[in-house]
Amino acid sequence: MQQSNRLRPFFENISFDREDNELVLNFGPQHPSAHGQLRLMLHLQQEQITKAHPDIGYLHRGMEKMAENMIYNEFMPTTDRMDYIASSSNNYGFALAVEKLIGLDVPRRAKVIRMLLLEVNRLMSHLFWLATTALDIGAMTVFLYAFREREYLMDLVEDYCGARLTHAAIRIGGVPLDLPDNFMTDLRKFLDKVPENIKDYEDLLDKNRVWLMRMENVGVISKEMALSWGCSGVMLRASGVQWDIRKEEPYELYDEVEFNVPVSDKGDNYARYKLYMAEMRESAKILYQVADMYEGTSTELMAHAPQYISAPKLEIMTQNYALMQHFVLVTQGMRPPVGEVYIPTESPKGELGYYINSQGGPYPYRLKLRAPSFWHTGILTDLLPGHYIPDVVSIIGTTNIVFGEVDR
Amino acid sequence: MAQHQVNYLKDGGLPVALTTIDKVVNWGRSNSIWALTYGLACCGIEMMASGASRYDFDRFGTIFRASPRQAELMVVAGTLTKKHAEFIRRLYDQMTEPKWVISMGSCANTGGMFNTYATVQGVDRVIPVDLYLPGCAPRPETLQYAVMMLQQKIRKEPASRSQKPKRLM
Amino acid sequence: MRAYTPKDNVQAKSYYTDRFWVAPQVAKSQVSDDAVFTADLAAIKAKFDVLDAYVQVEQMVVVINAADNYAVLELLKNECEYTQLSEMSAIDWLATEGKFEIFYQMLSMTKRKRVRIKCKIDENEAIQSVEKLFRSADWSEREMYDMFGVVVNNHPFMKRILMPDDWEGFPLRKTYPLQGDEFAAWYEVDKIFGKEAREIIGPENRDPARIDRYDTQRFSRLGHEVPFGTDISQGEPDTPLVYQEQEGVFMVEKFDAEKSVVISDRQR
Repeated sequence: MQQSNRLRPFFENISFDREDNELVLNFGPQHPSAHGQLRLMLHLQQEQITKAHPDIGYLHRGMEKMAENMIYNEFMPTTDRMDYIASSSNNYGFALAVEKLIGLDVPRRAKVIRMLLLEVNRLMSHLFWLATTALDIGAMTVFLYAFREREYLMDLVEDYCGARLTHAAIRIGGVPLDLPDNFMTDLRKFLDKVPENIKDYEDLLDKNRVWLMRMENVGVISKEMALSWGCSGVMLRASGVQWDIRKEEPYELYDEVEFNVPVSDKGDNYARYKLYMAEMRESAKILYQVADMYEGTSTELMAHAPQYISAPKLEIMTQNYALMQHFVLVTQGMRPPVGEVYIPTESPKGELGYYINSQGGPYPYRLKLRAPSFWHTGILTDLLPGHYIPDVVSIIGTTNIVFGEVDR
Repeated sequence: MAQHQVNYLKDGGLPVALTTIDKVVNWGRSNSIWALTYGLACCGIEMMASGASRYDFDRFGTIFRASPRQAELMVVAGTLTKKHAEFIRRLYDQMTEPKWVISMGSCANTGGMFNTYATVQGVDRVIPVDLYLPGCAPRPETLQYAVMMLQQKIRKEPASRSQKPKRLM
Repeated sequence: MRAYTPKDNVQAKSYYTDRFWVAPQVAKSQVSDDAVFTADLAAIKAKFDVLDAYVQVEQMVVVINAADNYAVLELLKNECEYTQLSEMSAIDWLATEGKFEIFYQMLSMTKRKRVRIKCKIDENEAIQSVEKLFRSADWSEREMYDMFGVVVNNHPFMKRILMPDDWEGFPLRKTYPLQGDEFAAWYEVDKIFGKEAREIIGPENRDPARIDRYDTQRFSRLGHEVPFGTDISQGEPDTPLVYQEQEGVFMVEKFDAEKSVVISDRQR
């Protein structure tokens, strides 16, 4: 029995007296292959799209407004919920931006742990991308395989910080915890299997006729279009621009590790798929190298800056002044200097930037989150026209958009 | 013929089970809860994980369906925003009776950490909810337990008459 | 007497600031210290007024007149190789200066440099769209309009993007409270059930700490389930967690903890 309410049916897609035979199709906002809450208004001639109009904002939760009303440390868990597939990379972007603002240097062990977390998150994100895209196109087996591997990575992160999805595992000025005892052995055990796992997926997909038909020469993004739309990450590299912030503007320890940046000049769905697979291999390579760096670093985990960062727990418990500082920092929050920064990092999706305008108070005056997926959704406006209805799903799949990040 | 004599009075002998209609219907309902894929935000990822390899929801008879017409359980997984509120009500209205709603995660329960202008402070302002799951995000085990609780709830309900409509107000 | 709360900025404020505390500044350096930035700045200065220019945290900041925004970005794109507009948005300075500050974050991939172009406009002033130069500005400018109410001229589709079309108010202005105004509070109720349902549904609970743990009509707690409406203020019975009813379930095999297998190594 239905409860009465004021909602009336939409008549957008039923127009009775149109002469041009154009159909307006409403896709979303709750569509199983829209990767979240994307709403697309598609104008169709037969099955071909003539005009696409993405409608976003269905997951707009007001994060930028929240940031203006929160002290810097308080905002850290909120960043988790942006790109919730790879939370630590959001944490890291924010932590790095605030560290640049106050001019902090992080101890080496913290850097190593951050690198581990970032790359584990990249693997998690790419596996998730593979799983969902394959599922959308109909490859259920790959979905199950990729999720199985992703669970092992989540176990690793869970061993480290206790959370599966929303980690909040990075603090401003370092990391809160040292690695647990079995972390490195588990990680290496996992990494040893990565190449053969990726080979499994590729065996299933690479030569698959359906996969090729849905992927090859579909959703071609030209170099000019990618640059003009502010694309970043794999979306940009698949269009022939060699630009990886890890390589070009290295942060953390990325200048000490050896890795390649895979690039393709095809610009279609298949190129993006191949780049994701190649990036997973590179991530595993980075993880091996970073795991070797861990041994022999000093045990310090947080930067020493009493004005901004609380002292280690032992000092708080034993020294009066450290306790007072901690109390002030927790209740009032740190006060970074007056100024503004824009710090980009290479998140699994692309360029994740934090613009912070600080007026010397404990709350940021303005915090702008530059999330890559926002523009990767926008590009659908120009990308979809000319394609057919089934291509929409595979194109949305390979753009790898996450709506926590698009709408913020 | 005589070799295959069956003692119909011993257990398992007679290929007939005597029970009430209620029990049969409830057995059917509780063991084939088809859920609507309603992943709104982070919790949606955990919902997917509980449907995937390790947690494997299919063994509870819970299969995710993409259409509200084929679903009887709506797992509201994630933040409901004011812009989306209208659509959740539409989809809820489109589901066939009997229907149940699990509100998964703090955002769906109360708005959670997003105490802002854009977030609905709990889906129970828009649709009636049967079970609330705490957590941000709840683990897949929590969702499994919730489905088990829902199965118990369904078994307790009389199935022979049509369900009373759940009232929001 | 009620405490005075300023109306022009309703965001959270620190409850205590030391009288003698002077906020330090993030170091700014001269543009002339960096050869690439010097050349870029000279190119801009040759044609346009530059109000201020400095380098902060490895990025050049150039303050220009708002009327020049399109031309400056065109120059940067075509002559200085700043091919990407990675971000643009506004900052609300209405409370102090009555102006919006608009920033354009540019990236040059060949030079590996980032430049921030800034300009200020009055509250009711519009700004020229740069969507012709960078398609990414299409959505950024819509977002800016949505959040701040800054109108952009020559934009192909100037509508709200994140908030619903019928939304009132501009959320990121400092005058807009975090938890929304009256319109925001009742938005979904008004839209779905109508204004007459407001009284029945009741106001939003904006206090995250409000719990009535003795309410057994609306909630039951796992492991402490009691019959509907029982008074539990004097203590409550402890019910063990059960996955199935004690007497078993019709046609469903009972879970046997003895027979289950526990896997200790998760990675096979």
